[in-house]
Amino acid sequence: MLEYQEFCLRAELEGSVVEAWVAAGWLIPETTEGPRRFSEADLARARLIRDLHEDLGVNDEGIAIILDLLDQVHGLRRSLRELSEALSALPETTRVRIQEELRARRRPAQV
Amino acid sequence: MSASADPYTVLGVARDASQDAIRKAYRALAKKHHPDLNPGNKDAEERFKQISAAYDILGDAEKRARFDRGEIDASGAETPRQNYYRDFAEAGPGGGAQRYESREGFADFAENDDIFAELFGRRAGGGGAHIRMRGADLPFHLHVDFLDAVNGATRRLSLPDGSTLDVAIPAGIRDGQMLRLKGKGRPGIGGGPAGDALIEIEVVPHPVFRRDGDDIRIDLPVSLTEAVLGGRVDVPTPTGTVTMTIPKNSNSGTILRIRGKGVARRDGTRGDEYVTLSIQLPKTPDPELEKFAADWDGGKRYNPREGG
Repeated sequence: MLEYQEFCLRAELEGSVVEAWVAAGWLIPETTEGPRRFSEADLARARLIRDLHEDLGVNDEGIAIILDLLDQVHGLRRSLRELSEALSALPETTRVRIQEELRARRRPAQV
Repeated sequence: MSASADPYTVLGVARDASQDAIRKAYRALAKKHHPDLNPGNKDAEERFKQISAAYDILGDAEKRARFDRGEIDASGAETPRQNYYRDFAEAGPGGGAQRYESREGFADFAENDDIFAELFGRRAGGGGAHIRMRGADLPFHLHVDFLDAVNGATRRLSLPDGSTLDVAIPAGIRDGQMLRLKGKGRPGIGGGPAGDALIEIEVVPHPVFRRDGDDIRIDLPVSLTEAVLGGRVDVPTPTGTVTMTIPKNSNSGTILRIRGKGVARRDGTRGDEYVTLSIQLPKTPDPELEKFAADWDGGKRYNPREGG
């Protein structure tokens, strides 16, 4: 957990910018009451937003869209990973059956 | 390739490129290779590191001049490994990024499949995000009269909440067909869209008409007199009675066509009606007919079970 001051310092951000990002929902502090605290993940997320804004020239609207899609991608990737773990626990014959079904669906698209 | 590759090559710019051109080249590459924009691509990080290192030198006119004079080399700009957001997002539940994750966009997968309901229907993490889901589809079963199915009609359904729903039954609908009324199902959750009303159509058979694709078939009883002498008879069709001419000497099993009196098609045309004649003798024996048949030489000579 990072104290507010340390977070701003390491993220190289003004407190007012952090507040604006929290208000926009781009950052969600670990704590809902009392002094704000952030995690290392929040710090990395703040750096990503800075990269988008400063280095890649994305405006606020663009950042909101990117974050939204990125959060969906990570949700999807986690779901996919859970599915892959669940599949690996199945018997070999079942896995082969699923593979065949997938292959059968893919074939027409490749033609 | 190492991180100390020539920065001009890394960014793909000429040695005399303007600062503006260098910035543009960097942005284009960074957009493509930023590790957080390529969550599953392991190469993106190394590539992005090279791009950042190159831009660190060339993006700053003063540093660029020193590099051009050979005072610093590319390796001097190597930056320590950074923790990217994706590293936290890919970590387990303790990674701290999970509360940002969203699976709302995939709720549609959860609707009809138990496995995907398990994946997308529940929220794995805690946090402030709320569930937004499409409402469930509402199934209905609707009996439709044969002629309504052929000609089209409007039927009123009563919904569970007491309201009613007027369903336009398209002309030509078939038994077992499904009608989907968008947004007429159960309301969505958390601002999600409503589900659909799914109406399974059951067409009630007709005592006279039978359906054969876009055509209608009926059996038409005719008298012996009508069959022998021909004549005009009234024939029922899905859109009302029409008069049809029976040719002289028509047999049982003769099929006559009435154009355009079949099932309505989508393009506005209709199929045809096929009328199969069936000769009906009088219900009670007729002495005059018996006498005629007994005296009728032509009838005795003709054997319909022999060829010719």
